[in-house]
Amino acid sequence: MSRLLTQIYLFEEIFAALQDAFPDEEFSVEDKPMDDTFLTLAPDRVRPVVELLMEQFDIYHLSTITGDDVGDGVRLLYHFWSGYGITLSILLPYDDLRIPTLTDLIPGAAFYEREVQEMLGVTFEGLETPGPMFLPDDWEEGDGPVRFPLRRNADEKG
Amino acid sequence: MSKITVPIGPQHPLLKEPLAFSLTLEGEHVIESAMRLGYVHRGLERLSQERTYVQNVHLFERVCGICSHIHSTTFCQGVEALSGLEVPPRGLYLRALLCELERIHSHLLWLGVQARNIGFDTIFMYAWRDREIILDIMEDLSGGRVSHAVNIIGGVRIDLTPEHRDVILGQLDTLETQIEALLGVVENESSFQGRTRNIGTLSLEQIRRYCVVGPVARASGLDMDLRRDMPYPPYDQLKFRVPVRYEGDAWARTLVRMLEMVESVHLCRQILTTLPDGPTSARAKRRVPPGEVVSRAEAPRGEVIYYIRSDGSDKPARVKVRTPTLTNLITLPDQLQNISMADVSVVISGVDLCIACADR
Amino acid sequence: MLLKLLVFPGFLFLFVCALFFDWVDRRMIARFQGRVGPPWYQPVADFIKLLAKEDILPTGANPLTAAALPMISLAAVLTAGLYIPFGTISTASFEGDLIVVLFLLSLPALAYFLAGWISVGVYSVLGGSRALLQYFSYEVPFLMALAGPAILSGSWSIAHIVDYQGQTIWIALMQPLGFVLAIIGLIGKLKRDPLDIPKAKSEVVAGSLTEFSGRKLALWHLTMNMQTVVGIFLLVNLFLGQSSVFGTIPAFLSFSLKSVGILLLLSTASALYARLRIDQLATLGWRVLAPLALVQILVATWIGG
Repeated sequence: MSRLLTQIYLFEEIFAALQDAFPDEEFSVEDKPMDDTFLTLAPDRVRPVVELLMEQFDIYHLSTITGDDVGDGVRLLYHFWSGYGITLSILLPYDDLRIPTLTDLIPGAAFYEREVQEMLGVTFEGLETPGPMFLPDDWEEGDGPVRFPLRRNADEKG
Repeated sequence: MSKITVPIGPQHPLLKEPLAFSLTLEGEHVIESAMRLGYVHRGLERLSQERTYVQNVHLFERVCGICSHIHSTTFCQGVEALSGLEVPPRGLYLRALLCELERIHSHLLWLGVQARNIGFDTIFMYAWRDREIILDIMEDLSGGRVSHAVNIIGGVRIDLTPEHRDVILGQLDTLETQIEALLGVVENESSFQGRTRNIGTLSLEQIRRYCVVGPVARASGLDMDLRRDMPYPPYDQLKFRVPVRYEGDAWARTLVRMLEMVESVHLCRQILTTLPDGPTSARAKRRVPPGEVVSRAEAPRGEVIYYIRSDGSDKPARVKVRTPTLTNLITLPDQLQNISMADVSVVISGVDLCIACADR
Repeated sequence: MLLKLLVFPGFLFLFVCALFFDWVDRRMIARFQGRVGPPWYQPVADFIKLLAKEDILPTGANPLTAAALPMISLAAVLTAGLYIPFGTISTASFEGDLIVVLFLLSLPALAYFLAGWISVGVYSVLGGSRALLQYFSYEVPFLMALAGPAILSGSWSIAHIVDYQGQTIWIALMQPLGFVLAIIGLIGKLKRDPLDIPKAKSEVVAGSLTEFSGRKLALWHLTMNMQTVVGIFLLVNLFLGQSSVFGTIPAFLSFSLKSVGILLLLSTASALYARLRIDQLATLGWRVLAPLALVQILVATWIGG
């Protein structure tokens, strides 16, 4: 059997397992259109939750990682697919834009993390960065373009 | 033996779009490879924040040339879900018709490129001659051969008369005969197989670790197709099969794409013969209520995902696009390990690169 | 004698034939692929266009060698062409001229390799080394296959081999295996699809000739086309020589028809197959073609002796 998932678990089962594993954590759950559910987590909970999803429920398909500058920090969204969408939402404050990498669990996350790192200035600890991915090689020098293109203050110089 | 560094790209006869590889060869074998993207990065995600939703439909069509319609479909799908808009069934069916035609177009183009890269010009010429049939159909439907601008938020802007429908059905019959002939060549011809069998093999384990999507994943045994698994309308009312193979090499990828073409022809026929009546679009408001949505669809190369966040104005606050080519590119260093120089072209074109998609 | 050398069947005639054969080849392949193909004056136009283009070389490439190599190849091919009779007319002939012709025809391959070597660029060096590898794979079966007619007719002079076929029948009918091997060897020598590995566009851009342009490139293309003509004429003489099969048609007409026939065979092979990989060619050459050529020689010796 080589289907994407041998079994599709109901979101309630997954949520119950998460609450069992992290009893002192407050997960806020929001349903979104097009069959997606957003779970808000603290930055240090991402790796344990992903490990649990992978081991217990065989959810390994990471569609992408979105970085979004929402005004009071950079929000990271890890979009997973398991027959329906599960998105982990993490808010990183501007003065602490760091989060551990997922590339040892999911090697396919490398390109997504590099892009968020390049465009928004988030540091993924442990991520190998052989160089810029989309931006030119000489982006950081000179005073012309702004440093992180997708940040809010990208219109001002700095 | 001494080592040579061979640059492939950004300009190279083997690449359709600019992408830079730097291969280190020892004799005829590749021992190291480095890849550089970003030659076609246009910053579309940033641009989309300064355009209205209507303008963005046209902006996101230009992410890619070959899969332009699926990009605008995914975007419109997400915005319609945010607005609570229900697209009439006729509009959904016409959207799907163009999606499938585009899938056939993309795979035929790819087949020609792959054949050219292994030195088989005859198949290249035949595939691109058959591509003209599809381009004629799309031009009659939408006015454009490659870029259609058919989607609007709320539906499609085109319609189909019964006479036109019969003409398209006839053209599809011709196309199906040609595709079956090409399929016969790919399955049986020994020199083609000699150049594509056991080249660039990816195991199911590697596919899962890299989260690969599309025909590359289906050729290694991963049975994933969003049209069947999600499913997004109108595919929930259509019957089709998803071809899966288990060899995982370049030949399996060719076969998967060709079988998908046959299935797409069947899907087009189904859509045309069961087209519901009614309007083709619903009226959309200029402003979209605040919220966020994750919209997915199955592009010719795999899963395409759009994340759209709206803040209540007429311009999106954030649109994130991840195209399937970016996911498939991450397997290239693995595939390029230890292969002969002659197989580099087969491997690189086997993942069906669309660098404009990957770079945005 | 000078007229024979320069006009017919010498240089001018070979030049015209080269352009004509190029046109027939391109037209035939195009028709196979469902296209129309170029008009008759296309090869002439291409040649003139190339002569008018700028002639540049990369830094580090020796300009004298780069200019000399195409001229040496062209000279070798033209000299080889002198000894190959067209129909019944031959410019020069002596006992053993087959060996001289085969030697002269292998010079362009070595010149091609050197051209890649001195061009400094990566693609040129790769193309050149592939050309040399390919040379080692096809040359031995090719030479052995061409030795078959010589053994059968008991002479190393091309004119005598043609006469021998006039008394018996085509050697292609007596040694079909040798004929097929010679055709395959010719495809390799001319670097045509499916054996155009040294100049595979999607791998090494243009192989040895990547950095050549202008007049030098025009000379190289002319050498390739002339080599096609000379190679086909050689094969026609050795395997489909003068015989009574065609009855009372004039010699030059039957020769032309046979040459164009072999050209059509080569074009068909180009259209029908994908390019081989160099290791596939090496395996084919040494494990299949060379033993078969050996068998053919043994059979020829047994029949002839």
